[in-house]
Formats: sequence, C-alpha cells, structure tokens
Amino acid sequence: MLTRYEHYAVTEMLGASDTPPRANGALYFGHPWERQAFGVALALSKAGYFEWGAFRGNLIAAIEAWEQTHALDDPSWDYYECWLTALEKTILETGLVTSVDLGAALAAVGEAPPLES
Amino acid sequence: MNERFKFPADREARNAARTKALESLLIEKGVITGETVDKVLGVFETKMGAFNGARLVARAWVDPAFKERLVADTPAAIAELDFPECMAGAEGEHMRAVANAPGVHNLIVCTLCSCYPWPVLGLPPYWYKDPTFRARAVREPRTVLAEFGVQIEPSAEIKIWDSSAQIRWFVIPERPSGTESMSETELAALVTPESMMGVALPRAA
Repeated sequence: MLTRYEHYAVTEMLGASDTPPRANGALYFGHPWERQAFGVALALSKAGYFEWGAFRGNLIAAIEAWEQTHALDDPSWDYYECWLTALEKTILETGLVTSVDLGAALAAVGEAPPLES
Repeated sequence: MNERFKFPADREARNAARTKALESLLIEKGVITGETVDKVLGVFETKMGAFNGARLVARAWVDPAFKERLVADTPAAIAELDFPECMAGAEGEHMRAVANAPGVHNLIVCTLCSCYPWPVLGLPPYWYKDPTFRARAVREPRTVLAEFGVQIEPSAEIKIWDSSAQIRWFVIPERPSGTESMSETELAALVTPESMMGVALPRAA
C-alpha cells in the first residue's frame, strides 16, 4: 500500500521506459539542476497541478522522440533534459504558467522559449 | 546590448539556466517556495533510504541481542533507534528481517515492488520487477546468485522470501571478517541495499 505520494510516483515508473537513473538504492542526479527539475515535477504533481500520468506521458514522448532521431547508444542521451522538456510542456498544458511568462523567464537567462508542439 | 542573444554554450549550463528560470517563475507566482524542492527530495535523501537499513544492520552486528530483537519483532526493534518519521508508518509496520548465518543465505524476491521495504532500502532497483528475474530466482537461486557474483557453498541452505503486501522482507547479512575494530558508522558504510536483498554480500573491510 503506497501512502506517500513521492513513493508512489517513483515506484510507478519502475521497469518502464521513463524510470529515472538510480545508484545504490537512491536516485542518481548528475547535476544539481537535475535534482531541482525532479523536485519541481514531483511537488507540482503532489499539489495537484497535474496528474503524474500526464507528466509521464510527456516524458515518455520526449524519450521516444530522442530515440527516433538518435542511435540508442548515442552519448548525447540526457534523461533529465527530456524530463525538463516534459516538465515545461506539462506546466504549459495546465495553464499554470502562460507561454508568455515562461518565454520571458527563459529569455531573461538567455534561453529560447520552449518549442511549440 | 540585448542579453537574450548570449546563449550559454555548455549544455549543462543551459539546462541549469532553464531549470532555475522555471523554478524562480513558480516561486514568484507563489506556486512553490524556495524550500519545496529540498522538502520533496528530503523524503528520498534523509527519511526513507538505504542509509536506514545500513544503520540497522550495523547495530545488529555490534549488538547480538538487538539482532535477535530485529528478527523477532522487526518494527519494535526499528523503533528503538532514533529514525526520522515514516519508518513505522503504513509502509513500515510490515517489515520483517531475516538473518544470514553460516550455512544459511536468504534471498528476497519482490513480486509487485509496491511492497518493497522502502523505508530501509530506498528505491527498488528496476530489475526487481522483472518477471524473468523473479521466476529464475525461485527456480534456480544458486545460478542467479552466481550471476550476481555471489557464490554460495553447495552445503549451504538458500531461503527465498517473497515480499507481498502483507510482509516486506529484508536480510541482515553476515558481518564481514576483519571488522572487529570498526565503529558502527564504519560498519554501516559496508552495508549495501543489494546485500540486504540477498543478491550481494556486504563490502569487504
């Protein structure tokens, strides 16, 4: 019986194509931003802004999109980059932030807005 | 000049900038706070994880009476140590420990993996849900263990425990030799989550 949201969300992904990287019984984050992206996604879903399944759908789609355009052992693979793309998309789908706001926030740090899908 | 044309060349820096921008925007809108990410990750990093299991095993190694209590009444023994919340919650009260001993090796198989002993072992490895692993572990445990690099003497007994919604098992591995002078903290560092599932031995001293 999974009564903690965090536990449920991560266990749901077990054995699936979008399961996060692990090391020694713990989530593996190569960089602090990966940990941040993970935490934001989980927190927003836990708070009810989107279904975990909706986010996972976008994550699985992002992973598949990469796989269709790369060799599977291409070292440019970056799980959390797919995660971030999926997170931006999911947030926009909910209307939690507008594409104008997100575009402006990204531009302020020198980043292009997320691609229109 | 216009800042928006200064794109960081490094990919990691770009993703870090994207993440930070997103988080800041959400904080600005009052959707999350500056503490939210740490709070969510705290469940995985400080509350429920393999570090808890390692502490239990290290205590069992230095205190044989505690080891007996850990096997006899696992939740009660766990409650003796000062763990953060969640250890004895809805997912913790059905944990049971079994001890390896000379001639006895325990192996845990997880069926659904929604019933993994999360509070003491952290996240289940993704191969644990694999039906092939599960079927083979039950049918030919010695072979599977050998594939994991664990050689069990032919005369030793292998006990297989199938975790379910009712009981989530974990293993107290045998204490490695040459560790007599080690502190509990040093001993805990030898205990891996795999050794507590029976597919590995603890690290050598």
